[in-house]
Amino acid sequence: MKGQELFGKLKQAVVEGDSEQLVDLVKGAIDTADPLAMVEKGMMPGMTEIGNRFSEGEAFLPELLMAAEAWQEAMKLIKPKLLAAGASVEKRGTVVIGTVQTDIHEIGKNILANLLTIGGFDVHDIGYDAPASKFLARAEEVGADIIAASAIMSTTVPYQKDIIELLKSRGLRDRYIVMVGGGVVTQEWADQIGADGYGELASDAVEIAKQLMAKKKGA
Amino acid sequence: MISFLEVLERATTGPMMSVKEYDLKVFIPAVREVVKKYRIQFDPENPCPADNDLADRVYQAGLELYSKVGTYCTDTERVIQFTKQEIEQAVYECPKAVYFGEGPDRVEWHGRKPDDNILPHCHVGSGTNTTEDVALKMVEAYGRITRAKTLSIPSLTTAGTLHASAGSPMEILAAINMMRIARDGLRRAGRPGMAIIDLHPSCSSGIGTIASSNPEFGARKSDGWIVAPHAELKITFDSLNQVAYLSSWGANIGQEAGPMLGGYAGGAEGAAVVTLAYAFHGILVARATYHLTYPIQMMPVCSTTPGMIFLISTSSQAFARNIGAPYYALGYAAAGPATKQYFYEAAAYLLAIQSSGIGIEDVHPNKGVGTNQALPIDSEFTCEFGHGNTGITRKEANSIIKKLMGKYMPHIKKPPKGRNLYECYDLETMKPDDELKRLYDEVIKELKGYGVNFK
Repeated sequence: MKGQELFGKLKQAVVEGDSEQLVDLVKGAIDTADPLAMVEKGMMPGMTEIGNRFSEGEAFLPELLMAAEAWQEAMKLIKPKLLAAGASVEKRGTVVIGTVQTDIHEIGKNILANLLTIGGFDVHDIGYDAPASKFLARAEEVGADIIAASAIMSTTVPYQKDIIELLKSRGLRDRYIVMVGGGVVTQEWADQIGADGYGELASDAVEIAKQLMAKKKGA
Repeated sequence: MISFLEVLERATTGPMMSVKEYDLKVFIPAVREVVKKYRIQFDPENPCPADNDLADRVYQAGLELYSKVGTYCTDTERVIQFTKQEIEQAVYECPKAVYFGEGPDRVEWHGRKPDDNILPHCHVGSGTNTTEDVALKMVEAYGRITRAKTLSIPSLTTAGTLHASAGSPMEILAAINMMRIARDGLRRAGRPGMAIIDLHPSCSSGIGTIASSNPEFGARKSDGWIVAPHAELKITFDSLNQVAYLSSWGANIGQEAGPMLGGYAGGAEGAAVVTLAYAFHGILVARATYHLTYPIQMMPVCSTTPGMIFLISTSSQAFARNIGAPYYALGYAAAGPATKQYFYEAAAYLLAIQSSGIGIEDVHPNKGVGTNQALPIDSEFTCEFGHGNTGITRKEANSIIKKLMGKYMPHIKKPPKGRNLYECYDLETMKPDDELKRLYDEVIKELKGYGVNFK
């Protein structure tokens, strides 16, 4: 199988979050098909479709997670081929994402992490209850463009401010785009602490991340 | 019912797995399986279905789900598991009534049934962010609503000029301060024994709850103390510490949970079933004698879409018909305070929960976000609604809800922002300004025209 038929099946397997089917398809085609085309013409349109369905309320977090899981499994097979061919999937930017110190809520953060992946970002999730120093350490390690901090409670949002203050104290504020979000976070709070971006919904945040990256690259 | 010590033993000996494994390999497949097996289907034409068979299937699906997934303890990375028989035994033995407060302000709260002719428990107030300068007056205003049986007190986000960050000493000071303010406010309202049942909104840590429970600060075990898991069906040692302390004290423990439509539970059907599973978690793990649920949709953020009304109606009916313990639901309107849309959304949500057989609480404006957004007039609306619609059936409610949705759903994604407490109240008298009074009179008249009654 190759060409449009292969791309269609790859797309469908991603949309259905069917890891087994996707891995089988990749295994069957990896030696004969162009690995970059498999990603860009097959799997990526599947991720875009599931992301759009999610934004429209036609798909939910389980579908998003299953699609991301299938994607990751397939990429384990495809990445070595891409490297060998000297090709790479274009990334919009690198994001370190986490839920702030003392906050254990992850759903919103997980949704955004998946939507950012779908949107073409290289995402590094540091989990929950993450102090400011952990955000910065990972950002330095992976050469991040964006630090995205989630906080769901009024008692945990102050820790978003700590991240910005830590960056300022190290003279690194200009190196990173800082985005904040979460249940009780508002645009007013984001402005007050000097964050670069805020999205009420995860889908808004992806668009804002794209805009901020475009601005950064243009700068 | 199995003991709390047994629960703790299972938290330290149950099957080990990563949280990702629990979410992806255990929880999500189990939700999908029971939704399919028990044929739970959301019908947008009937957001508040009058279908006892559906309600009982939601109950059975929730029971089976909880017996499959249990509660995940994040500190031990183990699953606290229960058999179906253990869950059913716990449901049979759990208290079906709870007593709150002291002296003449003491109240008894029983479970209700769908289409019940019994007055629902009217709970008022809000645990949302409130500035310290108005917190006392807000509590006093809530206490003056004589039809209100219990209340939620505001959340202070500061201790003096410092932010009350979670886990910090400032959080403990804010929690203690709010407890003092609340008891003082209730004394000023002439209801010193009225129970506060959302303790404690000013803190998110177990140590904050324990610190603020000292009777010196005005706390009582006849108040209601909330223990929260996090989505979905996960608990920390911090929350179990609260249970260990509160149950040893003999305090009323409330189980609260906010399952998410669009989250791990999937759509409205899955979220309805997960809402039920939380009730079992509450009885067994949180040792709760009363239950608060506040499911919320992730996009758009609110509780008043057709899917959300279906979720809260069916899960409430399932709970009321098969468990019968004190239960109430908190809704979040998309619209801001002091807007007509807020009252349309609030009426739709209250119609759904009251007719489905549970207690009622103020619907929170502006998705519960922002500061000083809750208004005393919201609480008056809740109580006038509860008394006016005693005996309303699900069928009647469904018909009115659909008409109200016709008014607010076109604006749900871009709702009006409204005016906060400072902008629409006289803070000396705690009375609404003329503009809000006019709006309230108009909206009540309009709602009466749709068949909603107020008393």
